[in-house]
Amino acid sequence: MKTASAHAFYKSKKFREKMKNTIVVFLLILGSVFVLAPLWWMISTSLKSPAEIAQYPPTFIPKEFHFSNYIEAWQTAPFTRWALNTLFIAVCGTIGAVFINSLVAYAFAKIRFKGRDTLFILVLSTMLIPGFVTMVPQYILFSKLGWLNTYLPLIVPAFLGSAFFIFLLRQFMMTIPNELIEAAYLDGASHLKIWWHIMLPLTKPALITVAIFSFNGAWNDLLGPLLYINDESMYTLQIGLQTFKGTVQTQWHYLMSMSVTVLLPVVLLFFFFQRYFIEGSNISSGTKG
Amino acid sequence: MDRKRNLLLAVLLFMGFLAGCSGNENSAQAEKTEDGKVVVDFWTFWGSETRRPIIEKIIANFNESQDDIHVKHTFLPWGDIWTKNLASVAAGNPADVIINDINTVSQRAENQQVEDLSQYIDESFEKQFYPHLWETVVYQDKTYAVPFNTDTRLLFYNKAAFKEAGLDPEAPPQTWEELEEYAKKLDVKTGNQYERIGFYPLWGSIGASSWMTNADDGKGFIENGKLAIDTPRKAEALHWLLGWKERLGEKTVQTYQAEFGSEQSNPFIAGKVAMWVDIGTFYTQIRDYGQDLEFGVAPLPSFDEDSGHWAEGGGFVAEIPKGADHPEEAMEFIKYLTGPEGQKYWAMKNFDNVANIEAAEAVASELTGDEQMVYQATVENLQQTKMFPVPVEYPDYHSRINPVVDNILLGKISPEEGLKKAESDVSKLKRE
Repeated sequence: MKTASAHAFYKSKKFREKMKNTIVVFLLILGSVFVLAPLWWMISTSLKSPAEIAQYPPTFIPKEFHFSNYIEAWQTAPFTRWALNTLFIAVCGTIGAVFINSLVAYAFAKIRFKGRDTLFILVLSTMLIPGFVTMVPQYILFSKLGWLNTYLPLIVPAFLGSAFFIFLLRQFMMTIPNELIEAAYLDGASHLKIWWHIMLPLTKPALITVAIFSFNGAWNDLLGPLLYINDESMYTLQIGLQTFKGTVQTQWHYLMSMSVTVLLPVVLLFFFFQRYFIEGSNISSGTKG
Repeated sequence: MDRKRNLLLAVLLFMGFLAGCSGNENSAQAEKTEDGKVVVDFWTFWGSETRRPIIEKIIANFNESQDDIHVKHTFLPWGDIWTKNLASVAAGNPADVIINDINTVSQRAENQQVEDLSQYIDESFEKQFYPHLWETVVYQDKTYAVPFNTDTRLLFYNKAAFKEAGLDPEAPPQTWEELEEYAKKLDVKTGNQYERIGFYPLWGSIGASSWMTNADDGKGFIENGKLAIDTPRKAEALHWLLGWKERLGEKTVQTYQAEFGSEQSNPFIAGKVAMWVDIGTFYTQIRDYGQDLEFGVAPLPSFDEDSGHWAEGGGFVAEIPKGADHPEEAMEFIKYLTGPEGQKYWAMKNFDNVANIEAAEAVASELTGDEQMVYQATVENLQQTKMFPVPVEYPDYHSRINPVVDNILLGKISPEEGLKKAESDVSKLKRE
């Protein structure tokens, strides 16, 4: 009797576990459908003919696959040039964001100096000012510097720190034991050296998060390039995408195929970095243990 | 050691990048071409495959005729172009010529965002343009822009459907009453399903406000600085619009509406709606997707026999943003752009209504067949087309009226109550 009831208990626990798993998987599938549906809609629209896009009721899978949409859309404007321009801006901005913000965050997290906390609050408070408020004054500033129609207004700000990234990195650095820093300091390492040899490797996951955010931000930025760039040869992909949207009609098949192409590098980058992200997490948990 | 070298390398690379970024600086800011011509920066939102070649051909023609001026076209996305314009005017380095909305010229004049063009313009220049368009570019006796293109609304009707319903295909409805009578005859119903709908006033390129002004003898929401929102005729127009929805049923209207949105499935072209209000360029869709459609065009029906066939128009102007470097050269180009030659080319290629009278009439007589029939009708219709520019005292007044009208059409508030509310909302907006 005893063993049987224990068995039953075991069974029911197993059953409950199974139920729990089923529910979790179900919720995950439901969530994925919600997240992936717009993506699928974009891909399917990008392969349809204009006539099929207009059809009602809409089709989920294209009846005919028009892969030529991709080539035709790419050829309507100098997209190769625009893609290189965008890549250049995004890569420069990302390098700046990763190194400069981590340097600032290191100071806030690990160096004791007078007025540090006040200064940190001041930095954080810049997050309260919405971008649109500073848009015109910033434009005037860059115009006075003679930087209009150059990529400088799009790249240099990334090298001047961003409150959100500084906050993110500082919080992460706070979790790294002070003993590690002190030991290195006693061994005669300078702060710059500690930052480069100890902090950067240990904060890899946070740095990769910053890199993904800032690359994505620069890659998808429309307003910045729109305001500061005047030569069409210096345009970026996001401005290019707008050419398919007209006053009277929108070329959805081109707009969607081009959007898929533009999205691709971001998705690939994420998958690529994700591997490192996990690796990075292991290192940090290793030091804590 | 290795890492140090890497760091150094990285720093050097940044510097290289930054230097690379600024490399273009001088050439891009150039105000003269290599052969000494003044560069006129021209911003438009015409970047599509159809429009861009047309505007660029007009620019090329102009550039060929000039010894001292070179116009450089820059495409900027629709909507965002004006954000950029505002920022660049504030910074003092705007384009030399920009295409902008015709109904808000006085706003920009009042806010010092646009140059006064009066010194370049005389009466003979003004006479080239339709008076109702010219009115929009004058503010406090000064001229701030030159009209470029415009539009007007016509009733497109399916002649085959007219014959089928026993109506005379050469006699489109003249009044609202006739419109409703014809529409009922043109309805085709099997059971509860409509196979064809005769007419629905809010489909096509027209909204409730156009019908309200049509009913009110062409009077807008603000007439000569006075509010005319809460008027009996406007309320009557709203009741009339609600009547259509009631007769056809909310569900029918929505099911049909869900099918619109693009050329190929346009319900008028597909023969599912027999009468349809749209602008002149709608013809190009019929031409491209409805080859066999037998159709006619007519002015909008009038409220009753004594009132006019009033339609609402919009359009764009060419203007010089405040602080432009080369206003004189810019004006030279604007004169070509809005002159008979440039306007005729634009009108022929785009099938668009233009502001220059001579060009519009030349195009109307040069075209043939259906093209001519429609174009001629739009040109004649400009006589009974009204523009409703936004008055300086009531900036953005539409944002107060539109939500109320939406609620009236949804049946959440009665037309009389709603219009009263809208009028009082707008009156609070008044800026001295």
